Amino acid sequence: MLVEVTDLRLSLRGRQILEGVELHMGAGEVYGLLGPNGAGKSTTLSVLIGLRAGSGGRASVLGFDPWPQRREMHRVIGVLPEQAGFYDWMSAPDYLLWVASLYGRDQLAAQVGRRLHQVGLDPVARAPIATYSRGMKQRLGLARALLNDPRLLVLDEPTNGLDPRGRREIHDVLISLSRQGVGVLLCTHLLDDVERLCGRIGIIHRGRTVVEGGLAQLLARRQARSRYRLRMPEPPAAAAPFPDFKVIAREGEWWHVEIGQTGHPDAVWSALLASGWAIAEIHREGGGLESLYLSLTNEDLKA
Amino acid sequence: MSPTVLIARKEAGEILASGRGQGWLLALSAILSVLSLLLVSNTELSLLDNAQVVYMMMGTVTALGALLAVALGSDAVAGERERGTLVPLLLAPVTGTEIVLGKMGGQVVAWFATYGLALPYVWAVGSSGQNLAQAVGYLALFGTPVVLTFGFYAYGLSARFVSVRSALLTALITLVLFASPLVMGPGLRDNPIGKAFDAVNPFSAALNSFDSVVIDSQPFTAQAGRLAVAIVWLALSAWFAKRSMERTEV
Repeated sequence: MLVEVTDLRLSLRGRQILEGVELHMGAGEVYGLLGPNGAGKSTTLSVLIGLRAGSGGRASVLGFDPWPQRREMHRVIGVLPEQAGFYDWMSAPDYLLWVASLYGRDQLAAQVGRRLHQVGLDPVARAPIATYSRGMKQRLGLARALLNDPRLLVLDEPTNGLDPRGRREIHDVLISLSRQGVGVLLCTHLLDDVERLCGRIGIIHRGRTVVEGGLAQLLARRQARSRYRLRMPEPPAAAAPFPDFKVIAREGEWWHVEIGQTGHPDAVWSALLASGWAIAEIHREGGGLESLYLSLTNEDLKA
Repeated sequence: MSPTVLIARKEAGEILASGRGQGWLLALSAILSVLSLLLVSNTELSLLDNAQVVYMMMGTVTALGALLAVALGSDAVAGERERGTLVPLLLAPVTGTEIVLGKMGGQVVAWFATYGLALPYVWAVGSSGQNLAQAVGYLALFGTPVVLTFGFYAYGLSARFVSVRSALLTALITLVLFASPLVMGPGLRDNPIGKAFDAVNPFSAALNSFDSVVIDSQPFTAQAGRLAVAIVWLALSAWFAKRSMERTEV
């Protein structure tokens, strides 16, 4: 395992931020860490990359205990933080040369041009980084993360600010790295990125992992049940008369429901109408990642 | 090359080559030029004893050096945090101590640039008087620990505070308090509270030593206690900066 996290907990100033995060990631895997804003994704990453100590549970990154062994760990991981800042007065090659020198390995300096080229930046650019667009800075941040030939890449929103072509290019870089055995831990809000890149995902909600597993298996399991969206101006007077019928969430007049394999939708609708459910519209929903994500993280809307 | 040296070189380059750094050196030249001109041309100030004039220049240069150290120290961590460059620095295989020492290395360069710039002015106002060589030596000997004490202190605040503004404000208030002997009258410094403050204040240690050496021509042995005060403060502030860096949150 490249990364193994069991029941990770963290409290800050008396407030419980993480309450049981699980994460299991093997070599060459691209792992998508998902969750709403404030769910604890970035905090989880900050513990895993050794920027803060956890309060409980267990975390192992490439065999290192991330907090006490952070210095050794930083030599073999690459990180693109959410806010990737640079010394703006330097040029990109000079900046990467300076970063490479901090690792104390001469051969890294020779890689600067290759890494810049790999992420689509000019390897001999002399313009200061201050003149770079957001997307160019994002690419430079990725080049910095790749500089030390990491065995694990931790990327927080890596395609932020990139145009569609740029996103595709970064996807290709990450896919190529994963084929070479580099693990990629990806934290993002872009479900398209996850669907394209990730073989395994974990969803965090309110500081806790609510689901973890192979993306294909999770989606297949989900598609065994049919999801619908019903519009009902008035809440139903009685409970649904089926054991294999489940209300997932409510959003104003819209109710998200699931019907299991044993129930036929037409029979279900007829019975619901007969029992006083004032259904005005029925829409079939897709069973993709977005649906899975919304159902697991939209606690407030659950009926 | 060690990470400390690499960070110090980067910091020194940023301080001296940036527009901000060059602006500071220009402002420093302007302040020292005006002060020197006043000291030699103003009717009342020109009546001062030559050694007294050198003493005033030494105090001013030390205060300006400390002011620069406070500005740089306050920006050292909080500024990096605000600009998003702190996390990448912490993710490099570098210890907190190496970061502190590297950044302070940049401050040492900035202080010696200030010192080097001040020397012609000290010479210009004091060349015809006594103890000029001692003045130059003691400015380095006492000015360096005093300036670095405030640099380390501001650095520690910068690591603990979220914003540069908060760290800078707190460090400036402290600097004004400690540098008050520069503007205090002799009456205030002679009462028991003033004397106690003088005994533990690194700024007073430097000023009293400048006075003792340049004006009263006393030997180095008479300055040992004052030098010890300055060095103890330097060690305490360095410890504070290191501890603060260890507790830094991103």
